[in-house]
Amino acid sequence: MADHNDPNAVNSIFSDVDVSAADLYDLFGFPSDDHSGGGKVVIALTFAAVPKAGTLDPDLLYRIRINPHQRVSFPADMSLEELLTYFSESKDRYLSESKAFEVRVTVNAEQKATVKFIDFPCGSFNAVVEVDKPTVVQAPDGSKLDVFVGGRDDAFFNDLPGFFRSINYAPQFYHVPHTMTEARELPIPKTLLELEGNDLFNFDPANPHHGAGVKMDLPPGPWEWKGNSYKKDANGNYRFVYSGKDAQAGRNINCIVLEIPMAFLTVNPAEDRIVDCWGESWVRKASAKVPAIPDTPSALHHPVALLHALLSKDDELKQYKLVDTDGQPFADAALCERENDRQLGANNFWLGPHFVTRLAHLGWGFGPSISALGLKCSFDHDNSPISIHKTDSTIIEAFPRVKKALFQPLRLPDNSWNPKGLDIPFRRPVEIFIPNVCAIDMDTTGTWPFGRRFEDQVATRFLSLFLDMDAEFNGTRYSIELLNNQALWDAAPIEPKTPPNPLKNDKEFSKTFPYLAEPW
Amino acid sequence: MREIAEARTGDIEQATLQAYRWYHLASLSGRLSHFSTAERVLAETLARFGPREDLCLLKANLDLRFHRLDAVRADLETMKARPQARSILADVDFQQGLYAEARREYEALIALDPVWDDMARLGHWFWKMGDHQAADHWLEQAGDELTAKQMRSFAWVELQRGVLDLSRGDAAAARGHYDRAARAYSGYWLVEEHVAELLAFETRFEEAAALYLRLASGDEPSPELLQTIGELYLMMGLESEARPFLDRAEAAYLESAARGEVHYWHHLSDFYSDVRVDPEAAVKWAGKDLELRSNFNTQVAMGLALHVAGKSGEGVAFIEQALGSGVQDAHLFHQAAVVYRGAGRALDAERCEAAARWNPMAGRFHVHR
Repeated sequence: MADHNDPNAVNSIFSDVDVSAADLYDLFGFPSDDHSGGGKVVIALTFAAVPKAGTLDPDLLYRIRINPHQRVSFPADMSLEELLTYFSESKDRYLSESKAFEVRVTVNAEQKATVKFIDFPCGSFNAVVEVDKPTVVQAPDGSKLDVFVGGRDDAFFNDLPGFFRSINYAPQFYHVPHTMTEARELPIPKTLLELEGNDLFNFDPANPHHGAGVKMDLPPGPWEWKGNSYKKDANGNYRFVYSGKDAQAGRNINCIVLEIPMAFLTVNPAEDRIVDCWGESWVRKASAKVPAIPDTPSALHHPVALLHALLSKDDELKQYKLVDTDGQPFADAALCERENDRQLGANNFWLGPHFVTRLAHLGWGFGPSISALGLKCSFDHDNSPISIHKTDSTIIEAFPRVKKALFQPLRLPDNSWNPKGLDIPFRRPVEIFIPNVCAIDMDTTGTWPFGRRFEDQVATRFLSLFLDMDAEFNGTRYSIELLNNQALWDAAPIEPKTPPNPLKNDKEFSKTFPYLAEPW
Repeated sequence: MREIAEARTGDIEQATLQAYRWYHLASLSGRLSHFSTAERVLAETLARFGPREDLCLLKANLDLRFHRLDAVRADLETMKARPQARSILADVDFQQGLYAEARREYEALIALDPVWDDMARLGHWFWKMGDHQAADHWLEQAGDELTAKQMRSFAWVELQRGVLDLSRGDAAAARGHYDRAARAYSGYWLVEEHVAELLAFETRFEEAAALYLRLASGDEPSPELLQTIGELYLMMGLESEARPFLDRAEAAYLESAARGEVHYWHHLSDFYSDVRVDPEAAVKWAGKDLELRSNFNTQVAMGLALHVAGKSGEGVAFIEQALGSGVQDAHLFHQAAVVYRGAGRALDAERCEAAARWNPMAGRFHVHR
């Protein structure tokens, strides 16, 4: 679950919030296998299949923002003061991304999609495409752009209940009204291993679908945990909060998929090797649906207004309200707690300090459970033998503890991600999540965190933030794929012996554009 | 919606949804029988699953709608710090004459999270206090917060803006808002009721009557609508045509009161003070309503009831309470003038008549709300 059901205004996990077409799910981005003409980038924005897969909501407007630039190296280390300065200074640079190129998509009642390409180097232009039909659009500079707007299989494969069990997220397991804001993440330590006596969230063999479709009444509080150990079975094995099962199997999404030549994105494709992108969903304002004045000013009666309307491209956007943003997987769900007012997209710099304290909160929970499995942890939890629920860290307290998790290079298991063998450093969590964009490195395969490929198991890779990448398992340095390694689980004192999340999607991806599998 | 509302379910989430759907259906239709069903379903759900917050919130909405103000406070007792509960409790404050408290809470809630319904509430507050510019600003802001998925709410906000314009005598501006409401949510009976009032305001009585009669031809016309039609006929000088409508309205009000319901007490006091004058009944219902909720509306109703009972001197005390609220309303000033004049206080009466003249059309047809 990268960004499903986020923000809370469209969070249909709650009983009183309907599924919304404004709920963005995932943003994928990677270099295309088509290397002709300087290469191409594939970008896919997926969102809820409302009203249904292949039929889009005419009241919604989707934006994909794109900003190509040169690769910049990120410092290997920073003091807290330097980090805060980075947040502040980067703001000036990234706020300029409000001028980023834009692909804007709306669909009319006849399911014709208007795709607007705005402010690209060759100018702005529009195309109308059929929904559910891959289309080639020719740009003014002659570039051929592949466009798909329509329904497909959801490319996200994930043990959603396992993730929610790990953070004790009550609305997945219990009937929680939207009003009860204190009954979302309950004040129980986050953990990868079940806690002895955590009856609210531990797997119950007598009610195996609890949290996986079955919800119960939330008992009266306090919803706390007073134990001091992880749960173990008769054989001394811990109980994993994850099952490895794909909760998204058989589900569809609607999506916008683009395959764009780099030469169309930048006049300098050889230098601009990083393509930042993020998505936004906007819903039409009621007032725009029934304007108080005519939509198009009359040239005869309002020549100045007409001129203004023609020149001011964002008059359209003024008729919509921003609902959701999506850049990095888990940036919202795990790190921003889905708050409506944290839907900032790339401009999430003011959340920087929160990012540090939130990571510490997760570290106090996940860290000891990782250590209990015999793995080395990147979060300094003072060798706590048990997960701790701690939310009151200041950034000054939190920073030394999360510093390694923030700045350690996230290693990949082999060099396949870097087919050209270039000197490209591994990415560090702090640069991955702030700004909240998918930063596609066009000299890599685009596997996460150098972008995001459809086949990436990002939920499990996200957990690897809490692994110490300097440590070794079976003589090999830790990597972001370690938790996907079945040998690790076979050797661990845990049941079930499975990677946290499924290793592949429920449907094979297509080898041709738009790559996502046909809908179910 | 009816199918969802009527679905039987043992699941708490579905049962809660069912109760809400009945409420939505009732709000959409405006029919008392639907509200009764919503209340029954809610009561059953509460009995089965206990006082869950979302059920308590729904109950508070229903209790507020039907003027059961003490019940509203009890419903929300365990969740009174929630923003949704605070909004409703501020409404109760307003209903109970705690105007400053209500405004403070609306403003605090908007600062916390600028949602459209709190903006509309604050707009209503400024409207009653005579600051029409601020009222329209907040109503416009409320409308701007609504999306294409909330067109009925948008239509409602447009209607409020239209009524605000009409209260200043600006029929053209009101029509603009009503037209927009009709385009936003076509076929909505509430829009048509407002249009009918506007037609009558413009002295297009025949057209207004035709529209009202069409609205009343449904299965379950509300007693307020029947009274409105009766009053329109009276204004047109058609007393015999008015009589059956007023009879039916009166009977419905009294039947409701006999069932122990309180929400028509205000209509009963108005009815007996203004439509079919019965001083004893007017004072009785005004007194009961005043005891329930002491605000400028109930105070002026009591003042007027005492006036028709020949006790204008006693009525003045209530009128002065209403005027002391800070509310600026042409009809309030008009009624205050009547009571002052009855009490022999000509200067005060003239002062109120002058104040009432800021709405030059105040004497025209209007609906009792």
